[in-house]
Amino acid sequence: MSKEIKQNFGPDEVLYRPIYETGKGFYITVSILIAIYFWSLYMYFTQVRSGLGVTGMNQPVTWGFYIVNFVFFIGISHAGTLISAILRLSKAEWRRPITRMAEVITAIVLAIGGLHPILDLGRPDRMLNLVSAGRLQSPLLWDVTSITAYFTASTVYLYLPMIPDIAKLRDRGGKLTWFYTFLAWGWQGTEKQKKILNKVINILMIMVIPIAISVHTVISYIFSMTLQPGWHSTIFGPYFVAGAIFSGIAALLIVMIAFRRAYHFENYLKEIHFKYLSTLLLIMSLLWFYFTFSEYLTGIFGSEPHEMHIILYKFTGPFAIFFWGMVVCNFIIPVILLGISRFRTIKGILVASISVVVGMWLERLIIVVPTLANPTMPLPAGIYFPSLVEWALFIGGIAVFILGFVLFSKFFPLISIWEIEEGRKEGIKEVEERIHSYLPNT
Amino acid sequence: MEISRRDFIKLVGGVSGAIAAGSYGLNQIIDIPEKLVEKLKNGHRIESWKSTICGLCPGGCGIRVRLINDVPVGLKGNQYYPINQGGMCPTGHAALQQLYNPDRVKGPLKRIGLQKSGKWKSISWDDALSTISKKLIELRKDGKSHQTVFLGYDEHGLMKEHISRFMKAYGSPNYFQTSHAQNNSIPFIFTQGHGLRPTYDILNTKLILSFGANFLEEGFSPIYYTKLFSHFKEAAKEREAKFIYIDSRMSLSGANADRWIPIMPGTFGALALGIAFVLIREELFDKEFIKNHSFGFEDWKDNSGNKHLGFKNLVLSDYYPEKVSSITNVPSKTILEIARDLGNIRPSLVLGDQGAVNNTNGTYTQMAIHSLNALLGNFEKEGGLYFIDKPSYDKFPPVKEDSIAKIGNQRIPVSKLTDGFSPIFDFSFEIFTKNILSDQPYPIEVLFIKGNPLFQSLYQHELAEAIKKIPLVISFDSFINETNEYANYILPDHTFLEKWDESSNIPTVGFNHFGIQQPVVEPLFDTRHTGDVLIDIAKRINGTVALAFPFESYKDEIHNVVENIYKSGEGAIASEGVEGVWLEYLQQRGWQIGRYASLDEFWNLLLEKGGWWNPIKKKKLSSEIFKTPSGKFEFYSQILKDKLDSLNKNAEKNKSTKETESLLVKLNFSAKGDTIFLPHHENVLYEDNFPLILITYQLLTNRNGESSNLPLMQEMFGYTMRQYWDSWVEINPVIAAEKGITDGNWVWIESSVGTIKARAKLFPGIIPSAVGIPFGLGHTSYGRYAKGFGVNPTSIIKNHYDLISGLPALHATKVKISLAT
Amino acid sequence: MPKWAMVIDLDKCTGCGDCMASCKIENNIAIVSPEEASEGRVMFWMDMITVYEGDYPNIRIKRYPKPCFHCDNPPCVKVCPVHATYKNKEGLVGQIYDRCIGCRYCMAGCPFTSKVFNWYEPVWPEEFRNCFNPDVSLRNVGVVEKCSFCAHRLIRVRENADIEDREIRDGEYFPACAESCPTNAIFFGDIENKESKVYKLSQSSRAYRIKENLGVEPKVIYLSERK
Ligand SMILES: Nc1nc2c(c(=O)[nH]1)N[C@H]1C(S)=C(S)[C@@H](COP(=O)(O)OP(=O)(O)OC[C@H]3O[C@@H](n4cnc5c(=O)[nH]c(N)nc54)[C@H](O)[C@@H]3O)O[C@H]1N2
Ligand SMILES: Nc1nc2c(c(=O)[nH]1)N[C@H]1C(S)=C(S)[C@@H](COP(=O)(O)OP(=O)(O)OC[C@H]3O[C@@H](n4cnc5c(=O)[nH]c(N)nc54)[C@H](O)[C@@H]3O)O[C@H]1N2
Ligand code: SF4
Ligand code: SF4
Ligand code: SF4
Ligand code: SF4
Ligand code: SF4
Ligand SMILES: [Mo]
Repeated sequence: MSKEIKQNFGPDEVLYRPIYETGKGFYITVSILIAIYFWSLYMYFTQVRSGLGVTGMNQPVTWGFYIVNFVFFIGISHAGTLISAILRLSKAEWRRPITRMAEVITAIVLAIGGLHPILDLGRPDRMLNLVSAGRLQSPLLWDVTSITAYFTASTVYLYLPMIPDIAKLRDRGGKLTWFYTFLAWGWQGTEKQKKILNKVINILMIMVIPIAISVHTVISYIFSMTLQPGWHSTIFGPYFVAGAIFSGIAALLIVMIAFRRAYHFENYLKEIHFKYLSTLLLIMSLLWFYFTFSEYLTGIFGSEPHEMHIILYKFTGPFAIFFWGMVVCNFIIPVILLGISRFRTIKGILVASISVVVGMWLERLIIVVPTLANPTMPLPAGIYFPSLVEWALFIGGIAVFILGFVLFSKFFPLISIWEIEEGRKEGIKEVEERIHSYLPNT
Repeated sequence: MEISRRDFIKLVGGVSGAIAAGSYGLNQIIDIPEKLVEKLKNGHRIESWKSTICGLCPGGCGIRVRLINDVPVGLKGNQYYPINQGGMCPTGHAALQQLYNPDRVKGPLKRIGLQKSGKWKSISWDDALSTISKKLIELRKDGKSHQTVFLGYDEHGLMKEHISRFMKAYGSPNYFQTSHAQNNSIPFIFTQGHGLRPTYDILNTKLILSFGANFLEEGFSPIYYTKLFSHFKEAAKEREAKFIYIDSRMSLSGANADRWIPIMPGTFGALALGIAFVLIREELFDKEFIKNHSFGFEDWKDNSGNKHLGFKNLVLSDYYPEKVSSITNVPSKTILEIARDLGNIRPSLVLGDQGAVNNTNGTYTQMAIHSLNALLGNFEKEGGLYFIDKPSYDKFPPVKEDSIAKIGNQRIPVSKLTDGFSPIFDFSFEIFTKNILSDQPYPIEVLFIKGNPLFQSLYQHELAEAIKKIPLVISFDSFINETNEYANYILPDHTFLEKWDESSNIPTVGFNHFGIQQPVVEPLFDTRHTGDVLIDIAKRINGTVALAFPFESYKDEIHNVVENIYKSGEGAIASEGVEGVWLEYLQQRGWQIGRYASLDEFWNLLLEKGGWWNPIKKKKLSSEIFKTPSGKFEFYSQILKDKLDSLNKNAEKNKSTKETESLLVKLNFSAKGDTIFLPHHENVLYEDNFPLILITYQLLTNRNGESSNLPLMQEMFGYTMRQYWDSWVEINPVIAAEKGITDGNWVWIESSVGTIKARAKLFPGIIPSAVGIPFGLGHTSYGRYAKGFGVNPTSIIKNHYDLISGLPALHATKVKISLAT
Repeated sequence: MPKWAMVIDLDKCTGCGDCMASCKIENNIAIVSPEEASEGRVMFWMDMITVYEGDYPNIRIKRYPKPCFHCDNPPCVKVCPVHATYKNKEGLVGQIYDRCIGCRYCMAGCPFTSKVFNWYEPVWPEEFRNCFNPDVSLRNVGVVEKCSFCAHRLIRVRENADIEDREIRDGEYFPACAESCPTNAIFFGDIENKESKVYKLSQSSRAYRIKENLGVEPKVIYLSERK
């Protein structure tokens, strides 16, 4: 079917290609991912049937992979909507080819991350108690609220800018025209429609920034609202947000590099995009270091015994390998690869980004587990080994993410076509005007 | 009709006495339709309470069992019962897990498969008893009645009497108990002339010096002593009282001491004598007592004018602090400190038990420790020790022996060596086992057995062979265990909540008492009281054997004892206010009761309150305390000398100790001359070169491995170590560091007998030269909760015994440890 | 309104563990499988803390039993998203098993590690179902539980007092652990009532609370010469 439509639709043809051309690789990838998904689903059912006993959690390590991955995934989700909104807001012209991908990451990862607290529930059947008996004083409910808000806002924020592209797909005819007709919502590209769309996008992008910041702030509050050493920290809010953006950018870069390669987007995702984004990543890495340094320095300086105990547990104890691994992944590697221009190739950026994603996952692990494993009562340290079920759900989560992305790319362009077109038409003029506005008048 | 909630409760409460949980559920009930009132009233959840005595250890705590609709659902300590006054130990709480245990033997079983095959067939009581009694009748006919053995466990009081009567009337001298009550009193017999264990006046003393006596955990009645000790501790600051604990390991008692003094296992006697040295040298001892009430302190001359060594000179020449320090690893300075404390802080008292005496030299060690009490003149003194005589309320008409029985009873018991010199003990597994295996002095045909020596004793392998050899083995246990897997018949007893029994005069408890065990529930299964089974067998054998039991049932025997108590007019039914002030008040007034209108009233009150006691102790004269030939406390034990002399048939009296010495050399003792009869230190011979000494100990949560079938106790087994359902090995952190062992590692513990594996617990409360493993786990049988959890340290302990008393030497085995990967 | 509090006299307590056992039986607390127990899922509402002080040979062992402290300002209650753990007017911190969603946030929030979780459905052999305490409900898989100060006993005591139209007397309401302790080291009562034993003991110079600096105001007070 895809073979039939061979007409040329202009310069952006390559952006449509993934939707109409499906290779063997796609089917293999999708089947593997679906298989992994069903496997993890099965594992989850064993958990529902038997109880959380099938995990490696215990007393005192009452939280494990699910909460770690919850924080991690939600962090990644900051890639998208937040970054895209900031870029849009700052009218960064180079944003045009990357906002869509960023937003997709958000929508998918947020859905996955948002499910994690449910995976973690001892009684998922009573989930609705959160509504019927919800206690707004609990940080967990703040989370529910802000994640829901963020998810709603970011899906809308993903969808709205897609409408013109969907209309294009509708107009192209061929597969699933009814589907695109439905989603295009009668988009004709009239000036009035454009005006409304732009207005709505503008409102949303301003709204979405505080919501996004609130999400990760509130997640950090889950920890910092307790009295536990290692958690009870005032900088947790910004620290988490910074970390989230950090991992989000890294994830975005990975996705960009992957699809650039897979779908031959070299013409759209140019060196400059990577240069800008990797600079941002480098800055975030330094910021991350600053936060981490402050967090631990204040702890060490105060030397409160329990706080110190946990710091040492991370620095030299059983978690040292994770802690120093995190420092290497989040700081040493990115700073070397991104700071030294010789290494700052696409490959280098890819390695740095993967390293940051791994490093940020380690950070989440290091935040959640050591504090729980070292109760402040004179009790022996807890031991936590994630079980197969937890690994399965982690791997399943990643699989669902990739699957979501791959499927999305089969139905929608991964790069916003109309925005690229718009950029070509208006961008130059607009940029010129803007530059004039900040230069001294001649 | 509208009834308010309060009215309703009043109504229901008024009618049925008390409604238990009912009221909990009734919270929501506001209006109750009239027809329901009747139903609720007579319907569910009528609560009642019954008193009995906890039967999970012989500690003798009074308990009250809560019944809802006559089903036991819970229990608590009996507030009125003087031993525990409402307190309990963790084990007691698991009592219902014994009653309802899914692994109980539910009726008589006959083994149909091979031994240990686990193949059993249910049979009727009648079939079982008729087969068994046929065999017993046959044996009597053939003049082989003595070839029957009753290997009891820790039964005492009436049950012990009951079994003794049976065996005597039947005609066998072979009734033994694997819990060596008599044997552990041997050191006391040597020094005091009788085996009564002293009662320690912990309440009024100012210094407790314990040589390994873990009275909070391993004592006869741990809760009685816990109660006393808590009062001691409460007032300790004000009274400047303190508690010093000497042991190789910090037990629960050690953990509560003001000072713990670590010592090499097997050297407690040396330390006691080192302390004696200082007391004597610095003249801190009670000169009056020593002069008037002791024998063998100074050197002395016997009737034939031979000079004998006295305790004083033995101690002064051999046990100076530096030497003692090198034996015990306790610094000389510490020895001086303890001795001076002991001598200066009065009253002070000295206890010795478990850790100190569980060794090849245990008897001499206990003698040495007890000598300190003599030096302090502690007998019958406030804050010292005193003795509680057991009144004999359980007197029955003497057993009539027919001619068969007479002959049978005169045979040598199977526990004695036949080759000339049996040591002193009544029973030792070693000799018992060897004799059975070699048919000496005669083969054994029938073995009645209570308890589980194949789990608890040393010598397990040989003992198993011995039991296998016996054609008819009958067990009375309520569970299948390591031992009765070899039995031909299991005639299951009730568990304690289903039966009549008594618990009286627990050794070391400071007053006479009689606790009544009554069935709080009808037997759940087709089980029978062992006492009644013996009566039944006796009836079937008929003749004088049947006559040995003048009562229809065991319960009637108990009733008879109660009648005797009633008639004595002494003491009182346990009732409220048994604590201090009230007691003093009563004592001042000379407690005379006679308040009970009739025996029935007495009996009913006894059942309601759970027991009777007599708190008044009569002060004893010195001549009543010491029943030795000299009538005094004997440092130089003439009883020991007589015993040893009589063992050696060739010895001419008073000639020389040479013969005795050579006898002792055979028993691995090194003492020569008069020292043999004096408290002294014998080195423990370890025989091999492993670096560490293995010490074992019992925990409050599982005394003898008997609680292993109670899931709560398995879970709580190592609550102090946070080790659940599993054994561990305690290692001093210094040694662990040397071996690269960290907390929680699996380690091998290897002795010349075998190797076991356990998790390491780094424990700073154990000496570096020893490792400690708790006893109780490692069952290979005994039900789903017991089998396969932990290890039994006894399985790698060498077959060493205290060769004077025959008690197992639990701390005389060396081991090495290594990391298991 | 009374405010229930517990005083544990460590100068009397020997660490015998009886309170742990009596609590388990009184409250029908599940016994998890041995494998589970070794993985840190054992359930004691009353736990035993052991601390070694000093180095060999001058070592001392400090042991103290630890129930839920029924904090007057309970951090566990603050974080619960569904009001399944709550503090009532009399200061008892309770659990509503039927409402708990098993998020275990309260466990993470408790500074004293007082709560335990039902990782699996508790299993009991049929035989043992006879000996449950009928006053206390059984818990299911997936919910958090902890020491309740034996609140079911309060209900009974209150009913008796109601019938007789009077206030609850000092010492009338006491939990199972206090009842069974062989050293009478556990006292229980209304700390707002200046006449009560518990109030008087709480004023002793030996009295202290664990981690007082946190401001959670535990209502379990320890007495000890050596703090
Ligand atoms: N937590 C904990 N509890 C324990 C223990 C523990 O280690 N830890 N130990 C338990 C064990 S193993 C035991 S055996 C019990 C001990 O407690 P019991 O079994 O009750 O004591 P026995 O040593 O069997 O002595 C029983 C009776 O024999 C009497 N008796 C002693 N010598 C003689 C004698 O020569 N002739 C006659 N006719 N009577 C005599 C005593 O006076 C006493 O009345 O305590 C138990 N309690
Ligand atoms: N020499 C010596 N004699 C004693 C005592 C003692 O400590 N030393 N204690 C006296 C007292 S209080 C009692 S209740 C009885 C108890 O000792 P017994 O009544 O003689 O024996 P049981 O307690 O029934 O235990 C049976 C077996 O358990 C095995 N076992 C393994 N590990 C241990 C352990 O750590 N401790 C003990 N006791 N047994 C272990 C031993 O092989 C012992 O023979 O003996 C009394 N006699
Ligand atoms: S000490 Fe424990 S097991 Fe022994 S009788 Fe008392 S409550 Fe029962
Ligand atoms: S029961 Fe009493 S003495 Fe025993 S551990 Fe508990 S508080 Fe301490
Ligand atoms: S001790 Fe822990 S569980 Fe108990 S009230 Fe305080 S915070 Fe909550
Ligand atoms: S586990 Fe239950 S009680 Fe605890 S916070 Fe969650 S819902 Fe509340
Ligand atoms: S108060 Fe009740 S629930 Fe709490 S530890 Fe004591 S017995 Fe257990
Ligand atoms: Mo014993």
